[in-house]
Amino acid sequence: MSTLEVSDLTVRFGGNLAVSKVSLSVAGGEIVGLIGPNGAGKTTVFNAVSGVITPTSGKVALAGRDISKLPTYKRARAGLGRTFQRLEVFSSLSVRGNVQVGLEIRKSWSRRGGCDRQYLADGADLSADSEVSLILDRLDLLGLADEIVGALPTGQARLVELGRALAARPSIILLDEPASGLDENETTRFGELLRSLSGAGLGILLVEHDVGLVMEVCDSLHVLDFGTVIASGDADEVRQNAAVVDAYLGAGT
Amino acid sequence: MDKFLQFTVLGLSQAAIFAIAASGLVVTYSTSGIFNFAHGAFGMMAAFTYWQVHVAWDVPTWPAFFLVVFIIAPLFGAFIERVIMRGIEDAPEVVKIVVTVSLMVALLFLAIAIWPQDVAHPVGALVEGGQLEIAGVILPNQRLMIIGVAIAVAIGLWLLLKATRLGVAMRAVVDDRSLLQLNGGRPARTAMMSWAIGAGLAAISGVLLAAEQPPSAITLTFLVVNAYAAAVVGRLRSLPGAFLGAVILGLAVSYTAAYLPSDASIGSFSLSGLPRAVPAIMLFIVIVAQPEARLRAHTTIRTRVVGVPTQRTAAIGALVLVLGTAAIGSMIAGPDLPLVSKALWFGLITVSLVPLTGYAGQVSLAQLTFTGIGALAMAEWGANGSPFAVMLSIGLCALVGAVVALPALRLTGIYLALATASFAIFCTWMVFSQSSLLVGGTVSVPPLSIFGWTADTQFKQLMVTAVAFAIIANILVLLRRSAWGRRLTAMRDSPVACATLGLNLTSTKVGVFALSAAIAGSAGAIAGRSFVSDDFGLTPSLQVTMLAVVGGVGSIGGALLGGLLLGMFPIGSSVFAANAIGVFRFVTVPVTKVITIMPGFMGIGMGRNPDGAASDIARSYRSLIESVPASVVTAIAFAILWISARLEYISNWDFFAGVLVILLAVMPLIGSILPPPGVQVAGRRLAAGLWLVFALLITAVLPWETLVESNGFRILLMLVWAGVVASIAVGVHGAVDLEALGLGTDTAAEIESPDLMGFGTEITRADAQLAARAIGLDGELDRPDTGSTAVTHARSGVEVGST
Ligand SMILES: Nc1ncnc2c1ncn2[C@@H]1O[C@H](COP(=O)(O)OP(=O)(O)OP(=O)(O)O)[C@@H](O)[C@H]1O
Ligand SMILES: [Mg+2]
Repeated sequence: MSTLEVSDLTVRFGGNLAVSKVSLSVAGGEIVGLIGPNGAGKTTVFNAVSGVITPTSGKVALAGRDISKLPTYKRARAGLGRTFQRLEVFSSLSVRGNVQVGLEIRKSWSRRGGCDRQYLADGADLSADSEVSLILDRLDLLGLADEIVGALPTGQARLVELGRALAARPSIILLDEPASGLDENETTRFGELLRSLSGAGLGILLVEHDVGLVMEVCDSLHVLDFGTVIASGDADEVRQNAAVVDAYLGAGT
Repeated sequence: MDKFLQFTVLGLSQAAIFAIAASGLVVTYSTSGIFNFAHGAFGMMAAFTYWQVHVAWDVPTWPAFFLVVFIIAPLFGAFIERVIMRGIEDAPEVVKIVVTVSLMVALLFLAIAIWPQDVAHPVGALVEGGQLEIAGVILPNQRLMIIGVAIAVAIGLWLLLKATRLGVAMRAVVDDRSLLQLNGGRPARTAMMSWAIGAGLAAISGVLLAAEQPPSAITLTFLVVNAYAAAVVGRLRSLPGAFLGAVILGLAVSYTAAYLPSDASIGSFSLSGLPRAVPAIMLFIVIVAQPEARLRAHTTIRTRVVGVPTQRTAAIGALVLVLGTAAIGSMIAGPDLPLVSKALWFGLITVSLVPLTGYAGQVSLAQLTFTGIGALAMAEWGANGSPFAVMLSIGLCALVGAVVALPALRLTGIYLALATASFAIFCTWMVFSQSSLLVGGTVSVPPLSIFGWTADTQFKQLMVTAVAFAIIANILVLLRRSAWGRRLTAMRDSPVACATLGLNLTSTKVGVFALSAAIAGSAGAIAGRSFVSDDFGLTPSLQVTMLAVVGGVGSIGGALLGGLLLGMFPIGSSVFAANAIGVFRFVTVPVTKVITIMPGFMGIGMGRNPDGAASDIARSYRSLIESVPASVVTAIAFAILWISARLEYISNWDFFAGVLVILLAVMPLIGSILPPPGVQVAGRRLAAGLWLVFALLITAVLPWETLVESNGFRILLMLVWAGVVASIAVGVHGAVDLEALGLGTDTAAEIESPDLMGFGTEITRADAQLAARAIGLDGELDRPDTGSTAVTHARSGVEVGST
C-alpha cells in the first residue's frame, strides 16, 4: 500500500499566507477528510500536492519517494490522481470520451513504482472497453455515456471527473468537493462508492462541505482555518473541538 | 575604442526607441491581457500620419508631433480597444492572436494603399542637426534627443503607475479584474486607457524612427519583433525588464553591425543578414531560459462541438475534390492554370494549421517558412523529383519544427506565436537570403516524378496538388478519429486535467507542431515551381494563419476555404488590374488596393469566431428551413434573377453568379435575418441583410464574361467570390442562433465551459484586503464590519498559480 505524506507545506500568494505548515498523511485504504471554511486553503493544498502550483516550502512524498520537485504529470504517473473544485472536464467530449481519454493517457505511459490496479474491479483483468464501461456503470453514468459533458449538470460532471481520474488508476486520489451538486439520494450512494473504493485499497483525501457525508465516510479529519490545521482526529473528536465549532461548524451541528 | 564608444551611443539610441515601443506593448498586454501584434503597425501608422500632417499639410514640427503622439494615436488606440478588443477579452488565446495579427496586416496594407511604397516619405529631423563632442566621441543631437525622450517616457510611466489612481488601477487589473470591479474600479475603462497609452508610445517610437530615415511600412510594422524581444526579458509584464531588454538588444544590434565583417561567413553560409536577425535570436535565447509555465486552469472557453467526418465521408470528399479539380482544370486556359493551382496549393498550407490550431489550440505564424524549408530541401536533394526526396524534405521540416517549437511550447500560447514569428524573420535574413541556396534570389523546385511519370505540365501539377491535399486530408481525419485526436481535444479543453492524468503536455504539443510543420513543408516539396525569397516571408505567413482561421481551422473544409480565399486575392488582383472604384468622385481607389486590404479586415471580423466561416455557413443552412418569410424572399430573389436574365437585363453569366451567391451566401443566413414571425434571434441582421443586397447588386452588374477568358476560370472566380460574400456576411451577422430558431443544439451547441460552482468562489477577507491594497484603499476595508462581506464572484481565467 502506498502512502501520501505531506509535511510542513506552506504556500504564500504575495502577502497572503494561504497555507501554513500543513502536515498530513493518507494511507492506501483510508479516507481522510480536509475541511474548513471558505478560503481556508484546502484547494491550495490540493494544488500544491498535485504540482499545479509550486509551494513556498514543504515536502510531498508518495510511497516513500519524494515527489516535491516533480512536474504534475510525473506525480500522476507516480500514482496520484485528483479532481477539481472548479471543474476541469473535457467539455466537448462525451462522458464515455472523458473516461476513455483518462484510460488512453494512462496506457501511453509506463508506471514507475506503485501498484497498478483498477480499484473498481475485483482484481479481474479488464480490456480497455470493459474497464471504461465498468467505471461508467459504477458511477451511475452508463445512461449518460454519449452525452457531451459540457451540457451536463454539475453533479454529474463531477462524477465524470472522478471516473476519468479512476481510469488513470491512481493509488491515492484527491477529491475537491466531489459531492456538491448531487442530491441527497445521490450523495448517499456516493458515500457508499467512496467506502467501497477505500475498502479495495484506494487512499482518498476528501475536501467536502457536506459535513454529514464527511463525518460519515472519513476515518480521520483535519480542520483547516486561515491556512493552519486547527484540529485533527476522528469525527467525534473534531465535532467536540471548541475551536472547530467556532471557526467552521458553528453551534448546533 | 572610439569606434566602440561611438557604436555604444548608437546602440543606446536604438535601445531607447526599442524601449519606448516595448513599454507600450507591456502596458497594453499586462492591463488588457491582449498581446498587440499590431503594435508596430500602430507606430507605422503614426509615422505616416506625422508625414501627412507635417510634410503634406505643412504643420510645424512640434505641433505636428504633439498632435500625432498625444491626440491622434491615443484616440486611435482607445477606438481599437472599444470597437475590436473589448469583445475578445475572454476569448481563447487563438482568437486574440489572430485578431491582432489581422489588425497588423490590415493596417500594413492600408498604409501601403494610402502612402504608396514607391515614393519616399521623408519627414525630416526633429531637432537641429548639430552634435556634441565629448572626449572624442561624437554625440549627435538627434541621438541625445531620442535617449532623452526614452528617459522621459520611463519617468512618466513610473509616475503614472505609482502615483495616479489610474496607474494603481492598471496594476490592480493585472492581478484580478473582477476584484478591481468589486472595489469600484472600472476594468473596461482601464483597459481602454492602456490601449490609448500603448498606442501613444508606439507613435513616439514610430515618429522617432521616421525622423532617422524615411519610414517604410513593412520595416516599421515588423519593429514589433524588436519590441517583443525586449519585452520578453520582462516576461511581457515588467517595464524595468522591458527597458533592460531594450538596452541589451540595442547594444547587440549595434555591435553586430559594427564588428561583423560584411563578408563574414561559415563555409559558404553567409552571415551578412545576422545584424537583422539579432532580435529574433535574442528572443529565442530568452525563451529557452524561461522556466516552464504554470498550468493554467479554467479559462472560460466557448467550445462548439464540430462534427468529425467519418473516414468514408473523407474518402468521398477527397475523390470529389480530385475529380472536380480535373474537370475544372481541363476547362481552364493555360495562362490561368498556375493561379488556380496556387489557390489550391495555399489550401495545402492552411490545412497544415488544422491539427495545430484547430485541434490543439496553438498558433504558428511561420507556416510559409516551413514551406520554404521544404522547397529548398527538395531543390537540393530532389533534382530528379523523386518521392524519396519529398519524404526526406518533409522529415527535415518536422525535425526543424520540433526543435523550434520545443522551448516555446513549454510556455503559454502567446510565446509560440512570438517564437514562430521570430523564426520567420530569422529565416528571412539567415536562410532565404543565402545566395548559395537561392541563386539570384529564386529557387526552383523540381516537379514530382514517380516511376517515370513527371508532373511537367501545369495541369499535371494541379493534379499533384489536389492528390496531395486529398491524401493529407484523409490522414488528418484518420488521426483525428484516433485516440491521439481525442487526446488533443482533451488537451485543448483542459490542459491541467490532462497533466493530472499523466500526460506530458509539452511533448504532445511538440508532436502536433512537427506534424503541422511537415504538412506545410510538403507543400514546398511538391510545389514544382519557382519561388522568390519574399514568398516565404513573415507577411504571407501571417496571411495564411489569418485566412485559415477565417475559413475555419477546426475543419479541413474550412481550412481549404481559407486557402482558396487566400489564392483568390492574386487572382482578383490580376483580373481587376485596370478597374477602380470612385469614392465621392474625387478619390479613386484601384480595386487591387481594396483587394489587398480585404484579408486583414476579414480576419478582424471573422477571427472572433475560431470555428470560422465554413462551419457557420454549413450549419446555418438549417435556419432557412424553419422560416416562411425567408423561403419566400429567397424564392423571390431567384425569380427576379431569372426574369432579369430572360429579359436580358443581365447576361447568363451574371445569372449564374447571382445563383451562386444566393446559394452560398444568402441561403445560409436568410433564415436568421428574416426569422419566423415572433421569434427573437440575435445578430446584426440589418447590416448583414444590406450587405447581401449590395453584394447581389454588384454580382449582377459585374461584367463576368469580359473579365476573364476561360470558362473554367470564370466559374472558379464566381465560386470564390460567392465564398467571400458569404464569409463577410457571416462575419457581419455573427453566429446563427439555431436554438432560438427552434433547431435544437445537438451538434451545433455552443457550450460555455461552465462555472460549475454555479455561484463562483466566495471572496475571503484576505482577498478583499489584497485588492484594497492593490488599488490604494488601504485601511478602509480593515474596519470591522466591511471585512466579512461575503461577495461572490466568478474567478474565471485566474491562473492557478499566479502570485
Ligand atoms: N492563484 C491564487 N492567487 C492568489 N491567491 C490565491 C490563489 N488561489 C487561492 N488564493 C487564496 O488563497 C486562499 C485559500 O484559497 P483556497 O481556494 O485554497 O480555499 P478553499 O479552502 O479551497 O476555499 P473553498 O471552500 O471556497 O473552496 C484564499 O484567500 C484565496 O483567495
Ligand atoms: Mg476550494
